[in-house]
Amino acid sequence: MYALTDVTKNYQKGRGTVTALRGLNLVIDDGEWLAVQGRTGHGKSTLLQILGGLDRPSSGIVMFAGHDLAQLREAQVTRLRAESIGFIFQTFNLVPTLSAAENVESALIPLGTRAAQRRRRVTAALESVGLGDRARHLPGELSGGQQQRVAIARALVKEPRVLLADEPTGNLDEDTRDEITALLEQLWRGLGLTLVLVTHDSAVARRAQRVAIMHKGRLSIRQDTRPRPG
Amino acid sequence: MFFLTYLRRELRRRMRQAVVTSTGLAVGVGLVITVTALSSGVRAAQGQVLGALFGVGTDITVTTATAPASGPGQITPEPYAQHFDSLSSPTQGTMRGSAVAAVARLRDVSAAAGGLTLTEIKSMVPADNVPPPSSFQPPVQLGVAGVDLGHGALGPLAAARLVSGRAFATGQADADVTLADSAYAAAQRLKVGSAVTIAGTRFTVIGIVRQEPGSNAPQLYIPMARAQALAKLAGLVNIVYVQAASAADVAAVTSEISRLLPSARVTSSASLASAVAGSLKTTAQLARSLGTWLAVLALLAAVAVASLLTLAAVARRAPEFGTLKALGWRSGRITAQVVGETIAMGIAGAAAGVALGLAGAFAVSAAAPRLTATVQTADSGSGGFGGNLGAGGGVFHAIIGGPVQTFANPNATHTVAVLFTAPVTVGVIVLAVILAIAGALVAGSFGGWRISRLRPAEALTRVA
Repeated sequence: MYALTDVTKNYQKGRGTVTALRGLNLVIDDGEWLAVQGRTGHGKSTLLQILGGLDRPSSGIVMFAGHDLAQLREAQVTRLRAESIGFIFQTFNLVPTLSAAENVESALIPLGTRAAQRRRRVTAALESVGLGDRARHLPGELSGGQQQRVAIARALVKEPRVLLADEPTGNLDEDTRDEITALLEQLWRGLGLTLVLVTHDSAVARRAQRVAIMHKGRLSIRQDTRPRPG
Repeated sequence: MFFLTYLRRELRRRMRQAVVTSTGLAVGVGLVITVTALSSGVRAAQGQVLGALFGVGTDITVTTATAPASGPGQITPEPYAQHFDSLSSPTQGTMRGSAVAAVARLRDVSAAAGGLTLTEIKSMVPADNVPPPSSFQPPVQLGVAGVDLGHGALGPLAAARLVSGRAFATGQADADVTLADSAYAAAQRLKVGSAVTIAGTRFTVIGIVRQEPGSNAPQLYIPMARAQALAKLAGLVNIVYVQAASAADVAAVTSEISRLLPSARVTSSASLASAVAGSLKTTAQLARSLGTWLAVLALLAAVAVASLLTLAAVARRAPEFGTLKALGWRSGRITAQVVGETIAMGIAGAAAGVALGLAGAFAVSAAAPRLTATVQTADSGSGGFGGNLGAGGGVFHAIIGGPVQTFANPNATHTVAVLFTAPVTVGVIVLAVILAIAGALVAGSFGGWRISRLRPAEALTRVA
């Protein structure tokens, strides 16, 4: 799915340059679950943004499904994001004025899906995360765990090939964290997704196939223990 | 529809900003409508004044600058009482009738008509060394216009309305018939069929006409040939009324006439307008300068406020837009959403602005006092046919002393009172709505520009 070769990302900060990724090489297979751990500021989120086409590397190659994301035009990257990549954020990032169903529907807008079909897919996505009865609720009317479920439904409604999750349980209590982790694992197994999950939480990371550690912009694989979903 | 749902919810969420933006645009639009209505009202009032003073259909008048010595001449008291009844052109020079034809042949001239604006003076000079009898009346002067019957649409009667009787017929060029001004007729109790004496000749009143208020109209109109004969000005005119081929040609015609008749005084409505003074002129200047700037500044301020608020909103919503970009929304789609929101605010502002503007225009119309316009009409030569009616009394007064009863304004100025209204046209409303929406578009474009520069990774970083 992904093949990163010698990827470096530098940021200008004041007069100096901060290197977030240093010559990173990584291959992520189709259907793999990779957990990325590391201390704050060591490049975890930057790696996720590069994988999602939200940012471009300063140098190196980011191959995704046969395309080098570093070389594609912005419109092409946007199209890839719309069709193939789902995002889950630590703070859920739901639009507060839209209902749960409308938030999920927003992921189908760039695909030009017709309204009737959108409604069917939104209903199915919300039911798959156990929120079929909360479709008309605004995010402010939902608990943190429910909001993250809505965000997961929004990420999955377009049937992406990759799910990129940035600290999806970071804002949740322990019980809810376990629920969300279990849900992600269930979806990963059921849908055959490629899942890249950034987390500080070792309990969550342990459920992944591989655990990669980011340290000062460099990546090392720590664990490769679990089988891929059948 | 997702677009409208999202738009409506966002406007509701940011209601205060929406109200501020819409109110700003409404004030700008309201001022534009009010000031435009004010300007329209002032233009209409000026047109009314100039139309009254100049005559409908007349673009230019030509008179001679140098007034020859004329009038009753030197009067020497005799041992017996003397009665005078003369018709003359005391303050304006004369031109040959051929000048009218020459002007009419000019390239940009549509029509030209000659005329005579004369002063009739009736007086009695008491016998030398004898006290005036008890029946002594002060001298009377009145304006008499000689009308070219072949050009009824151009000349002193062009703007006149027939109140009773009938107008001149073409065959009455040599008839002793007259039309009386309604005010003079009322004062002298003249009716159709009454008789008046002009230069010792008895004329029959065949009609009563009413001119525009303040037009400084003559009291009597007689056929041109009779005026020439009675004033001993055979084949001469002292004013030429000119109609240009189009309004755009007036300046060119003025130049052409000046070249053709170098010694003539050529007056157009534009030069007459420059001579207008009084509260009408002050209001016009106020509407043009302060009013226009106020409206422009208010509109610019409203657009600036709307733009700044939109930019601030985009900055606040950066995480939201970053998320949408992460979901695959194109920048153009997000920009359209933001522009849609500002246009909705613009439409609300336009609606409120139209209401404000109509209220403003109504208030101006209701509260505005009657405006007055003062125009130099005599020696300055700014006026049209009425321009020479004032000074004859002065000449006579110098000869015999004592007051002169005049029916024309004895001063060299003429004041017209105008009822002011501020009309609002559909065109102005449409323009104001377009301005409001354009302002909203500008504000939305700033937001769109900011969104297009927003990198999704950068926007999402603000969330963390």
